[in-house]
Amino acid sequence: MTPEVQRLERLAERLRTVDPFVAPPGAKIRGWNLVLAAVEQSTAARSRAHPVRRLLIGVVVAMVLLVAGALAASADSVPDSPIYPLKGVLESARGAVTFSAADKLAYHLDLARTRLTEAEAMISRHRVDLAGTSLKAFDDQLKSAALLVQTERQVNAPAAARLQDRLRLAVATADQQLADLQGQVQTSAAAGAIIQARQQAADALKIAEAPAAQASPTSSP
Amino acid sequence: MRALGKAASDDDRLLVERVRKGDQDALRTLYERYFDRIYNYVYARLGRAEEAEDLATDTMTKSLTRLDLFRDEGVPFSSWVYRIAHNATIDHYRRHGKVALVSLEHAPPSASDDPSDLAVEQLSNEDLHAAIRDLTDEQQQVLILRFFQDLTANQVAGIMGKSVGAVQALQHRALGSLERALQGRAAS
Repeated sequence: MTPEVQRLERLAERLRTVDPFVAPPGAKIRGWNLVLAAVEQSTAARSRAHPVRRLLIGVVVAMVLLVAGALAASADSVPDSPIYPLKGVLESARGAVTFSAADKLAYHLDLARTRLTEAEAMISRHRVDLAGTSLKAFDDQLKSAALLVQTERQVNAPAAARLQDRLRLAVATADQQLADLQGQVQTSAAAGAIIQARQQAADALKIAEAPAAQASPTSSP
Repeated sequence: MRALGKAASDDDRLLVERVRKGDQDALRTLYERYFDRIYNYVYARLGRAEEAEDLATDTMTKSLTRLDLFRDEGVPFSSWVYRIAHNATIDHYRRHGKVALVSLEHAPPSASDDPSDLAVEQLSNEDLHAAIRDLTDEQQQVLILRFFQDLTANQVAGIMGKSVGAVQALQHRALGSLERALQGRAAS
């Protein structure tokens, strides 16, 4: 150990023996009273802030529940409902996450069935205008499904054949349903819309069965 | 005779949690545990009892009313309290002005004296306190925390935000500067 280090060690030892400054008892009591008052004031301020925070959280939760509820309710809504547009948003979102040809076909056929059910509901409520819109959307979905089958045929013929069978079955089922509906309607406008929809469905099936060169290039999502 | 207990005990964390839940006994325990230490620290820095009392009270008030700001992520509560005390001291210097100190680290030894002549055992506590206050801010801090507060180099490193090695080097330089300051005082 060098002389310098020894000197500094002695100095350090001397520092350790220095008596600490001790606060007078009065100072400590005064300090405690001030700290206690400040803590109580701070706690009171926080508890005053709590109702506001709780209210904000309540509002946010209520809004989230409202939106979630509206979305859930919209799944069963029909075209004359105010929340019906939400249904379209949900359907588009669902369409955005379907990737395989089989899933896309199932998506289009499911939407076609939904549009057909909506058309039935609108006819029963004598809303022929909205029923016509639903039937038009029904045909659009079948046409999209048909074009999908045709595209798949160019890539994978066996898979396209399976898709075509599913489309044929769906069109047949829908045609039977439309035929029943046609027998029930009492207005010529409604009957005309149904006849047109049946024709469009049959045309969609022809598109799916036709070779690619003969298919219509147009598609609706 | 040293009267200050060891700081940074392991149950600080539990006490802090209890204070957060409104336990006044835990609040009192933390206050009792740290007020004397902080008073001692601030007094050593400032050298004036009234100001030390005010700053110690301010430090404890800030520490115990703003526990929501204290995140126990590797930093002990004690380090947090000392940092608040240190910042309060710096703010006090800024508000009231402090004579700019020249580091004694590289100052030449007093022309008249050999360092070995310094009889440290005979130095008064007042001389030591006064000489410490001639040092730089960091040198004061490390000497007070290490020798007046009995903290380990590791604890001081946590408070000062330095590595243990840096604290040890700073301590060595601070002792050298203190020695020179004491020699200067003895010569004058």
